[in-house]
Amino acid sequence: MLKRYRGAWIGYLFLTPWLIGFFGLILGPMIYSLYLSFTDYSLLEAPKWIGLKNFETMFQDRNYIDSVKVTLTFVLWAVPLELIAALAVALLLNKGIRGIGIYRTMYYIPSLLGGSVAIALLWKNIFGVDGLINQVLAYFGIAGKGWVSHPDYALYTLIILSTWQFGSAMVIFLAGLKQIPSELYEAAEVDGANRFQKFWRITMPLLSPVLFFNLIMKIINSMQVFTSSYIVSEGTGGPINSTLFYTLYLYLKGFSHFEMGYASAMAWLLLIFLAILTGILFLTSKYWVYYEDGGRS
Amino acid sequence: MRRRFLSVLVILMMAFLAACGGGNSNTNNTPPSSAGNNPSANTDGANNSGVEQIELRMAWWGGQERHDRTLKVIELYEKENPHIKIIPEYSGFDGYFDKLTTQFAAGNAPDIIQYGGNLNDFVARGVVLPLDDYVGEIIDLSKHSQSMIDAATIDGKFYGVTLGTNAFGLILNKTLFEEAGIPLPSKDWTWDDFREITKQLSDQLNGIYGTAVWTEDGFGIFLDQRNKVVHINGEIAFDEEDVRDYFQLWKELQDIGAAANAELQASAAQTPEQSLIVQRKVAMELIASNQFGAYQNATEDELMLFIAPINPETGRNGISLRPSQFLAGYAGTEHPEEVAKFLNFFVNNIDAGLILGNDRGAPVNTDVLKALIEDANEIDQEVFSFIDWVAETSDAPYVPNLPGYNETTALFRRTMEAIAFERMAPEQGAADYYKQLLEITAKYTEE
Repeated sequence: MLKRYRGAWIGYLFLTPWLIGFFGLILGPMIYSLYLSFTDYSLLEAPKWIGLKNFETMFQDRNYIDSVKVTLTFVLWAVPLELIAALAVALLLNKGIRGIGIYRTMYYIPSLLGGSVAIALLWKNIFGVDGLINQVLAYFGIAGKGWVSHPDYALYTLIILSTWQFGSAMVIFLAGLKQIPSELYEAAEVDGANRFQKFWRITMPLLSPVLFFNLIMKIINSMQVFTSSYIVSEGTGGPINSTLFYTLYLYLKGFSHFEMGYASAMAWLLLIFLAILTGILFLTSKYWVYYEDGGRS
Repeated sequence: MRRRFLSVLVILMMAFLAACGGGNSNTNNTPPSSAGNNPSANTDGANNSGVEQIELRMAWWGGQERHDRTLKVIELYEKENPHIKIIPEYSGFDGYFDKLTTQFAAGNAPDIIQYGGNLNDFVARGVVLPLDDYVGEIIDLSKHSQSMIDAATIDGKFYGVTLGTNAFGLILNKTLFEEAGIPLPSKDWTWDDFREITKQLSDQLNGIYGTAVWTEDGFGIFLDQRNKVVHINGEIAFDEEDVRDYFQLWKELQDIGAAANAELQASAAQTPEQSLIVQRKVAMELIASNQFGAYQNATEDELMLFIAPINPETGRNGISLRPSQFLAGYAGTEHPEEVAKFLNFFVNNIDAGLILGNDRGAPVNTDVLKALIEDANEIDQEVFSFIDWVAETSDAPYVPNLPGYNETTALFRRTMEAIAFERMAPEQGAADYYKQLLEITAKYTEE
């Protein structure tokens, strides 16, 4: 028994850089932020313990409620749209056409650039009152809107921006598609299956673990969306809170309103919500995610 | 196997998320009260040549022009004081105070810091260096006007030198007035004239509005015209009906097409280059006078500064002379005396003043101002004569920002937007605003 562990310290030695990083930069700050979430902490003065007051205030804070609504709306639209786009393009690119590498790269580029400040700025200009979109619309005699400055449209413009960055999900779908054995399709064809049957009976079940992975990743990512709104609304979440994402409000609370305790409480509530949501998705997964090995690990 | 791998990945991602969310708050575990005792890393530059080498860090925000001018003054100072090295930390306005706040929390804020009207928020948190010990000996305020000294005096202590005298003013696009064939307003115009002229401008100019909506800054002017102020030492000093009238005034101007509509107004960016007036979307906009140069340089059109319309009942135009910005020290600085010397140089040295020009407002030191006026170009002349105009026509007191400025400003803008987009009637908006404003200011004054 002891023999087995004798050389273990060498392993830990190799792990130290990561362990230091994990304890110093992740676990330590996390525990401290948990403490802060029960305090009134203005950043410039020592934290004051106030128990659960931050959490109580949250549910009376109209801006907080707005930010939850905005974020949930965003997730409900952006996640399905992005997954559908990613899957559709992955299916297209899974065929052997000439120059396929170029197409793959081209579709992937937006997701490399998409989270960046430059793209958000570009987006702001394209969808601005005088932007490209409105100029094109004007050419057809349609009066444009302030796509990012009207509370009815601003959020949806950001949803389109995020959908456009489907590249990373697409690459994972592509990898999943490559894993599906072609014999299955050949056998299905012999049995006279049409395209839809092949898609729903072979592709989807075999792709479901990848879809599940993408779904969870996208939900987690979308809950934390920040840059696009920060840039497009100039950090206000406006007009009238219509793009006040959860993390943007968290940031405003912490750094602009000097309420870091409140901001920490928001972060923890988001973490707990995501943990529960992910847990529920894992529970449902046995009804719709199909593992070739029967889910045994 | 695959499933377990996925679970691990997901859990790791969530751990990362929590660290991102909370980690920001955790720049330092040391309470800021002890921050002053931390030797800051960059002051270790003492060498053996006898004179102690001192490094000071200086932070400010602004556009390129301000950066260039400020850097030149730093250079000049270093030349005259070879043992001082000043490390500049400059940026645009976006994120400037966010970064500063983090630095305060971490106890490594710059020694010399530029503030705006929010100086009081930082004084209240004990991070600004009181300068009373240095006034007279090191910092010479004898040539500064009393009102600018008062502006930096909070609870009886003096906290910063004022970088310039400023006033809100209307910027008029003269070229657009000519294109519309409308004469410039008279110097004692009233709100009725304002309404008429802006409406005419909108009618004559295709797709251009008479005026941009005045936001919170305009509300201060509006209140002064009623012989009221926004607050006295953090206590709200106006009534719900005042803000209701203001909201109604602007909603009406938007409804008749005289003022920029909701969408256009919401798209207005804060930089002069992207502003509605430079983009030729409106013919008038309310700005701070020191920004006039930046606006004029961003457009081919001819712009001019003009006084606000007066309230005929009180005869007031409500425009006050105000400090543009302050330069102040960090309470935790290692070298308070050197900081004070630099502050003195920055506002009182004539060469420095000539380099800085009008970028942060008209210099507060009368000698520097005189030298600058002799030297001034056309744009600066316009600003100086506007400042004179304000000084002659208005005795409006300077009212510092509300406590909790970031939060209250956001509330004001959001309410005006909600009214403009017709989500709320002005009455409802005013009631909502007033109630929330009292809640927010109570939070800041109770401490």
